[in-house]
Amino acid sequence: MLSIKDLRLSFKDNEILKGIDLEVNKGDVVTLIGPSGTGKTTLLRCINYLEKPAKGNIILDDLNIDYEKITKKEILALRRKTAMVFQQYNLFKNKTVIENVMEPQMIVQRKSRKEAYETSVEQLDKVGLIDKLESYPSQLSGGQQQRVSIARALALKPEVVLFDEPTSALDPELVGEVLKVIENVVSTGMTIVLVTHEMSFAQKISTKIVFMDKGNIVEEGSSKSIFEDSTNARTKEFLNHFNTNKLNVTKEEVYA
Amino acid sequence: MDVAYMIEIFPKLIMTLPITLLIIVVSAIFGLLLSIGVTYLRLKKLIIIGPILETYVSFMRSTPILIQLFLVFYGLPVLMNSLGFNAGDFGAITSSIIALIIFNGAYLSEILRPAYLSVERGQHEAADSLGYKPIEKFRKVIFPQLAPIALPGLGNAIIYLVHDTSLVFTLGVVDIMGQAKLMLANTYGENKIEMYLAIAIMYWLVCLSSDRIIKLLEHFTYLKRIKRKSKVKKTKVYKESVSIQ
Ligand SMILES: Nc1ncnc2c1ncn2[C@@H]1O[C@H](COP(=O)(O)OP(=O)(O)OP(=O)(O)O)[C@@H](O)[C@H]1O
Ligand SMILES: [Mg+2]
Repeated sequence: MLSIKDLRLSFKDNEILKGIDLEVNKGDVVTLIGPSGTGKTTLLRCINYLEKPAKGNIILDDLNIDYEKITKKEILALRRKTAMVFQQYNLFKNKTVIENVMEPQMIVQRKSRKEAYETSVEQLDKVGLIDKLESYPSQLSGGQQQRVSIARALALKPEVVLFDEPTSALDPELVGEVLKVIENVVSTGMTIVLVTHEMSFAQKISTKIVFMDKGNIVEEGSSKSIFEDSTNARTKEFLNHFNTNKLNVTKEEVYA
Repeated sequence: MDVAYMIEIFPKLIMTLPITLLIIVVSAIFGLLLSIGVTYLRLKKLIIIGPILETYVSFMRSTPILIQLFLVFYGLPVLMNSLGFNAGDFGAITSSIIALIIFNGAYLSEILRPAYLSVERGQHEAADSLGYKPIEKFRKVIFPQLAPIALPGLGNAIIYLVHDTSLVFTLGVVDIMGQAKLMLANTYGENKIEMYLAIAIMYWLVCLSSDRIIKLLEHFTYLKRIKRKSKVKKTKVYKESVSIQ
């Protein structure tokens, strides 16, 4: 359903993505993992053209786009079939919670106010924010803002939802509430591409794990094949690094 | 001090107020429109037009408005002639307005550009990622967020503009200052203090009213909406706690 072929992108002379091929089927939960600076965020942003790849091809649903010859119309179409959940939430600061969720439906999908309102209330109820409709983003916690941004994305009924480290900017005690919401989204059968450093969460919800390093996909497969059975040296090193980090944290917590 | 004299000259000075207001309003409106165009082009960082506009802005900001008035008044007809337009003289009022428009096109751009740039990249990206068209993004997201940042600066710019109009009499415009000059000539320079005090009060009143307009506009920005809302909330909470007792 989503298929990327030979995607290449450079910033100045620095090649960041070196020919990425990625297949995502309907209902898949694909998680991109890998060291910092590897290009995970950049790849995700290429999917809705927030970054402009130099080369490559993307097929999404009935769209078949050559990045080199992309038109304004195709950019809009691509963006309207995908929805991005940002690390920093990026709610519209000048809008209330309900307006944040309603407005894109009215602008992008030309829905009536009434229709947009009903969808928004339904989505905001699902993320547990029905009592915050009239609040402004600046009056909400990070976790609440991120839940609104998930509601805003889902209200547009996209083909794919893209999550870029949705919990990285949150205080530790707020991570859980957002992960729970994402889990609920997964359970609806939504197609998802996710970047995260929450390894146990990734292991639990993903239908496919993609391990990236230095602008390449090194290895991909089921949770089990990557997290437990991988024989690839780089994958193992990366995952080991994570486990030791985790142990350190628990040790500190124990001695605290 | 001769208060009776002040009261006597006030109507005469006020008669010329429409000229001053005309210059202010026309220069403000067209200056703002010009500055929007200038800001739009500057933000695009074009290869040739970009540096030209930076030079224009820098020049207008750093040369005295009095010199700019003279340059336009004496220079523009010459320029038009050499370009083959037989424009003749523009007259003092038109020249003043043109000079003030050119000045504000640059000066206001120095307010609008940082206001635009102060809107976080994430706000642009959110609108883009949702599939907003550029114009929709500007109308619904960017403009409402840059407005409260730009308004105080624009308010100050209007006050400067009001002050700058006090120089156009040097081109021969009979505005408040021009009228004062004529009247002082008739009284052989007596009652100077009363005259200038009366004028100062008039400029003050003009600035006060432009201030009110800016305040009114600020009232509708989202930042003020949020502020009002949090106030309402606090009073509500307070009432609830009272009723519990
Ligand atoms: N706008 C940009 N201009 C120049 N270089 C950039 C830009 N954005 C990202 N990069 C570079 O591209 C590389 C990949 O960045 P990216 O954000 O995609 O990494 P990542 O895998 O998401 O890392 P992290 O886990 O830290 O989020 C990095 O080396 C980064 O410095
Ligand atoms: Mg990243």
